[in-house]
Amino acid sequence: MATIEQTTEVGAPAHRGGSGGHDEHATATGVTNKKLAMWLFLASDCLFFGAFIATYLLYRGRDSVGPGPKELFDIPFTSATSFILLMSSLTMVLALAAIQRGDERRLRIWLMATALLGATFIAGQVFEFTEFNAEGLDLDTNLFGSTFFILTGFHGAHVTVGIIWLMSLWGMASQGRLKQGDSEKVEIAGLYWHFVDVVWIVIFTVIYLVPQPAAPGG
Amino acid sequence: MTSPRELAEADESTAVAPVEHGGVTEHAPGLLPGEVRPHPSPLQYVLIAVILCVVTAVEIAVSYTEGDIPDSLIVVLLMGMAVLKFALVAAWFMHLRTDLPIFRRFFVLGIVAAIILYLIVLATLGVF
Repeated sequence: MATIEQTTEVGAPAHRGGSGGHDEHATATGVTNKKLAMWLFLASDCLFFGAFIATYLLYRGRDSVGPGPKELFDIPFTSATSFILLMSSLTMVLALAAIQRGDERRLRIWLMATALLGATFIAGQVFEFTEFNAEGLDLDTNLFGSTFFILTGFHGAHVTVGIIWLMSLWGMASQGRLKQGDSEKVEIAGLYWHFVDVVWIVIFTVIYLVPQPAAPGG
Repeated sequence: MTSPRELAEADESTAVAPVEHGGVTEHAPGLLPGEVRPHPSPLQYVLIAVILCVVTAVEIAVSYTEGDIPDSLIVVLLMGMAVLKFALVAAWFMHLRTDLPIFRRFFVLGIVAAIILYLIVLATLGVF
């Protein structure tokens, strides 16, 4: 069986503008292994999040004790944080476009903007968790608490990892270690970031927007 | 303003296939590894973001119609708009429409596998 990656003298990348360039080489698939690996990871992560979403749906409306989503959810607030996360996807692709044309100043600006928007989303999630907790919802209060905190908590953990990744890229860019030829590093981080965004699109709709069953005991 | 259809048609006309030499596939000149056609421009990214904002606003508005229209219709509308947003982000921001089909195949495989697996689980456990 042919290996995915083959060393070749063709070697040099054909980046637009091409001032950078590092030692990546052509592969049997025509794509780099890192990007392929990220897509495989994202495909597997669909199953990861699918498990938590399915579990939430399985136990939805089966609680005998409250508090439930009808009493707790603040749709305008969550809509605002969802909007912020959606806009972070725009700043992420603008960061990628900036590095692909060799504009390092805008790359740093958009990377920082994306990280800040992500941090704002996380701050909103922490606030929401705190409010729910004050209303008496904990991880072991009822089925809603368990499935809600596990699902949104794991998503928040993904966003937090993304923020750390973005900040490390920003640090590299600030030190001049992220050049036009390294655009794939930003693209792969972007793929991860957009994935947490699309997962939130599903979570926001399924958990927050879809009509809730009647309140426990009601 | 350029419509999304015009943007898509313009992109179709600029598609460039990768070239294979001795079992090793090289990307076309001027394109990044894995690209079949150039990535969208910043203006196109902003246009997609505007569409996403509008769809999100409609989604939230629809969720407030609870009690006025049947819940089943609300669910269908909301899920339809979520799928649209998901597809727009995946196609444009994640570049599935401009990159090699291998990425799309991997990702779609993951999504379809997850949907089938968990639909079977939920059906088995009597959710539907």
